[in-house]
Amino acid sequence: MKTRLCLTLATSAVIGLAVAQPAAAKLGSCDDPIVLGTTLSESGVFSTLADRWRNMTKIFAEEVNKRGGIPVKDCNKNLPIEFVIYDDQSVPATAVSLYERLVSVDKVDFLVGPDWSSIGGPVPAVAERHKVPIVMANVATPSIYERGFKYVWGTPAPVVPRWSERYFDMLKNVDPKPKTIYFVTEDNPVMKGITTVWSKKVEDQGLEVVGSEMFSSTQKDFTAVLAKIRSQKPDIIYISSFDGASVPLVQQMAQMQIKAMDIHHTMLTGSLERQVGADIEGWTGELVWYQGVKGDYSDLIDTVLERSNVDMFDYIWTLARLNSYLVMMQAVEKAGAVDREKVKAALYRGTFKSPAGDIVFDENGFPNTGAFTIQLQDGKAVVVWPKDVATAQLRWPATASK
Amino acid sequence: MIEVFLQVLIGGVMLGGLYALVAFGLSLTYGVVHILDFAHGTLLAVIGVIASLLYLAGLNPLWIALILVPCAFAYGGAFYFTLLRPLGARRPFESTVGTVLVTVGALLILSDVTSVLAGATPKNIPTRLGVYLIGDVVIPRMQLAILLATALLTLAIHLVLTRTWFGRAIRAVTQEQVAAQLCGVRSVWLRTMTFAFGAGTVAIAAVLYVLTYPVDPYMGFGLTVKAFTIIILGGIGNLPGALVAGILLGVAEGMTGLYWDTQWAPAISVVLLLVILVVRPQGFSRKTA
Amino acid sequence: MTNPANLSHDDKPDAPVHAGLQPFVYGSLAVLVIAALAAMPHFASPYMVTFVFTVLIAYTLAQSWDWVAGEMGYINLGHYCFYGVGAYAFSLALASHTTPVLALIWAVLFTAAVAVVLAFPLFRLRGDYFAFATLALLPLAEILAYNLSSITHGADGVMLPAHNVRDLTFVLAVVLSALAFLASVLLDRSRFVYTLRGIRNDELVLETMGGRIQSAKTRILVLSSGFAALAGALQAWQLSYIDPPTVFGLDVALIPIAMALLGGSGLLWGPLVGVLVLAIIQQWLLINVTMFNATVYGAIILFIGRYMPGGILRAGWARALGAAYRRRTGGTATRGVAPDGPDEVHGAAVAITSLPLVPQAADRQAVVLDCQKVTKAFGGNIAVDALDLRVHQGEIVGLIGGNGSGKTTLFNCISKVFEPTSGGIVLFGEDIRSLRRDQIARIGVGRTYQIPRPFGDLTVDENVAIPLMYQDTRLRPSAALAQARAFLDYAGLSARIGSLAEGLSLQEKKALELARALACRPRLLLVDEVASGLTPAEVARFTRHIRDMRDELGMTVIWIEHIFSALAQVVDRVVVLDHGRLIADGPLAEIVRDERVINAYLGSAHAEDGHAGA
Repeated sequence: MKTRLCLTLATSAVIGLAVAQPAAAKLGSCDDPIVLGTTLSESGVFSTLADRWRNMTKIFAEEVNKRGGIPVKDCNKNLPIEFVIYDDQSVPATAVSLYERLVSVDKVDFLVGPDWSSIGGPVPAVAERHKVPIVMANVATPSIYERGFKYVWGTPAPVVPRWSERYFDMLKNVDPKPKTIYFVTEDNPVMKGITTVWSKKVEDQGLEVVGSEMFSSTQKDFTAVLAKIRSQKPDIIYISSFDGASVPLVQQMAQMQIKAMDIHHTMLTGSLERQVGADIEGWTGELVWYQGVKGDYSDLIDTVLERSNVDMFDYIWTLARLNSYLVMMQAVEKAGAVDREKVKAALYRGTFKSPAGDIVFDENGFPNTGAFTIQLQDGKAVVVWPKDVATAQLRWPATASK
Repeated sequence: MIEVFLQVLIGGVMLGGLYALVAFGLSLTYGVVHILDFAHGTLLAVIGVIASLLYLAGLNPLWIALILVPCAFAYGGAFYFTLLRPLGARRPFESTVGTVLVTVGALLILSDVTSVLAGATPKNIPTRLGVYLIGDVVIPRMQLAILLATALLTLAIHLVLTRTWFGRAIRAVTQEQVAAQLCGVRSVWLRTMTFAFGAGTVAIAAVLYVLTYPVDPYMGFGLTVKAFTIIILGGIGNLPGALVAGILLGVAEGMTGLYWDTQWAPAISVVLLLVILVVRPQGFSRKTA
Repeated sequence: MTNPANLSHDDKPDAPVHAGLQPFVYGSLAVLVIAALAAMPHFASPYMVTFVFTVLIAYTLAQSWDWVAGEMGYINLGHYCFYGVGAYAFSLALASHTTPVLALIWAVLFTAAVAVVLAFPLFRLRGDYFAFATLALLPLAEILAYNLSSITHGADGVMLPAHNVRDLTFVLAVVLSALAFLASVLLDRSRFVYTLRGIRNDELVLETMGGRIQSAKTRILVLSSGFAALAGALQAWQLSYIDPPTVFGLDVALIPIAMALLGGSGLLWGPLVGVLVLAIIQQWLLINVTMFNATVYGAIILFIGRYMPGGILRAGWARALGAAYRRRTGGTATRGVAPDGPDEVHGAAVAITSLPLVPQAADRQAVVLDCQKVTKAFGGNIAVDALDLRVHQGEIVGLIGGNGSGKTTLFNCISKVFEPTSGGIVLFGEDIRSLRRDQIARIGVGRTYQIPRPFGDLTVDENVAIPLMYQDTRLRPSAALAQARAFLDYAGLSARIGSLAEGLSLQEKKALELARALACRPRLLLVDEVASGLTPAEVARFTRHIRDMRDELGMTVIWIEHIFSALAQVVDRVVVLDHGRLIADGPLAEIVRDERVINAYLGSAHAEDGHAGA
């Protein structure tokens, strides 16, 4: 009957796929390139956060190899790097399956990525199980690093505990000093984390928290929130939100002519600027790194970004992703061999260089990355703090005051 | 405090106008042609993306609309004629299934092609129309324009549907196709026209939407769900009802934010929908059985 | 009984050569496949294991969805909700150190409870409204997951213990999928599936035949939700971390549904075929194609929807393949292939006493139906107006009147399709006010409908078998189908056994209505206009049937009819309605001479427009 036909077809298909194995490089050989496996969320809901990263990754490998590759002591030579890239389609179960494939079928040497907490939650278990060191990229939820895994690191930038460190430092040095602050937070673990940490810390420097509102990512109407803010008249309005989700908020703030000494946005990006234009003139924000600021590997990164047409201001998550590649490269160099255990040891509590400064991992694999404070002046983002790397003078009060 | 209330009320009405706009094309295609189009919101998002790209290329929104509306019209007509019309001839079960599969497939194709060709990051058309100030209450000009445009559009379509031969013919065809054909109505042509017309209104809605809020290729399905909610609340086939429902929904969301918690505002539409469907299972349609 | 010359090969009833061997062969094959799958972690790469795991989860979701959609005809677009609720229930339990077994059980119970609560409001809706309402559940569930953060941890998600459960969850997923398939097989052979299929066709009629539809809907929804919950729980366990967008995301919610529809909804192998085809294609695209793979995927779905909307397994070429395969192996019959026979109903000379119906003792004094000032108003339109009517056992009462005089509305009040606005109806001595529609059927009321309402996508024998199964709760489907044949022979439809009811001509459908009504074993039979459209010979046959019902079986009959010649042959008395009011009640000979009746209905020689009957 159709039954038998179907059963036969089904079983053959499954077994056929199971047995099919493509050719794979040998781990630890000195004649093969260093293979890094990763997935990108190129389609699906998370793809809205970045464009052109696949090309950027390929160009990164090209540029590194052009500059000689990675020196591997045990091999007495430099080895090129190579990436195997899949699209996880923003689905965690797919990502898990693809990381299994990277390890067991493509037989990559090490793993980098993925991005985003939904995917970064399940994936480390795969790396841990196979004992493959993984340096995740934009996975910022600290609890993901607290599960006792030994093979997992990440380079989210900036990290929640250090996100606005420089900004609040700057606030100690401005005149007139702000006294009150109002938090507006998007319902998102990273942004909530930022608000939780920093609403506590600001009390220590004498800023009074006069209000804290949360909004959902798809919210379109903010009149209620803004009415509350208006009645409080805070000195600082601190918006902790992804750029896209805050567009309606920003526009409505301008329409309702909400004023303050400064309005600070945790994700002041080019994308936001393009969408709201002059509404954010004078606002302050954070940027992990700014093209043009010199640092370790900044030449390499500048070239990669230029060739792949990715602007850091537009896609502020980019440096975190590139940092995961940089860290892994340096770890292999430090370990002196394409050996997973040696690389793991090199990564443990290691210090690594990046254009935005050194990355230091704690025992959980969580980094210490901070960010520069920027301000939007005349439509351009400039670094205003710390003073020694600032590209322009801070304008204070930042926005036209009440 | 009365100002805050007024502000929230006005904000809600504006938002509601936008919601009604999103639901508009669906009101036509579902309310009139009875096609369950899952790709509705995605089409809106995709046209929005194209509109923003045209804006970057230097065109002003009016020109953008003038270009995109006929294109959408043609797309809608072709889509219906080649893909959906033949399904109407099948048994009801297969017709429904086929429509679901075709529109889901279209949703996937539209969002993926747009994402690959234009990038998946959010885009909009930044405008600075300013605001009207009445006392302390702020009324954004852009959103007021949208509300008026939606109301005008609703009125126009409503008049066409009830006062013209064309409109009556469309309604006849959807209620009783064979009888309508016997009366000389070219039903295939009419249904194609209606669907094309629906797609055209989606283009208008997309341009207006993207002038206010950003769009990305993957937000469509969420919009579709909201649009379905609105046409149910307003009554299937009842276009002015959809406008009222959209506005009520916007106000309800705003009030939830003001008096309760902004986090729960998006849930209001769903809760309202479920409550109304349970209390009045046949909906508010003015059509008799 | 049957006329062999009119039956084609495909209509032959089940009689494969090795009937006894079949279950054994299939069973062993199934066990082999399941064992091979379960052993996969030992011989296949971990990638394959995780990939097949996602396929199994998708299958469980697609199959559990299809019980409600394919069998019962309710398209639940929010099915993924149960998956998410199950995932959360399990994860929260596991995260608070419950043992996995208990956590799994809790996931099922909690989700089943949610399904029971939702069933009540949701199933008041029909068709598209039901689809919309269920679609709206997904964003609601996501918002609840985000906002009830004290319970669900909101956007932070739920972190599960990070033990290596990949292989364990895989084996459990194999078991779960096997159980889902087994449940489908068992369902397909059960009595219950006929209730579902009846609901799919015409739930109102099914209820008036004795079907308890609300309970059936809830039960199947609970079953469906339980499997979905376990699928969610296993997926969450394997991922070891879930957050609201992962389990309630709209973007993936439609995929299992598309898979079931693609294979063929309502077919035993449909969901499996659909899942395999789409999952394998999607994975192949993911690995080998870097751009536009979602476009290709969407194009395939679109193509199938346009050209094979019944699903792959219902497509012409698939059927041809199957038929060819069957011919070579001499297999079993297909359902629903109509022979090219003449349209009229065959006049089989079968006695009504040969039917498995128990005659009632004739008791002319017993009051079968007592309508006391029954009124039914629809807004301002009073369809039935203070009607008093008494029918005794064994009477054949004709019910006549102009169009819109309230005759069918009266029937609908008796069978509780409508609730009377005021007044009482007593059936067999019992006030029906507190009875449900299915209970009315069970106390012995059967009816036909003015426009025949057969269960269109079921065969004629299945149509009749359904009420038989309701009347005798121990009757298995195969036995009920066999019994149904007798009723069909009586109604003259023996040539159409195995044909789908929707393919019948109007006359045949009316004959089917009668056969089905008889299968309800009625003590009171309500016949609504059978004669129109029939040839005089057929009318005569119907009339004979009705007389036999009273004479041989002691049935009471109320017969709405416009064709006087038919009524004249059998009725004891005639009741005349006009605008909802009873204007005459007596023997036929008196009625035709009654002044009011002539004015209202029959028409006199000089009446202008005249209320002349049909």
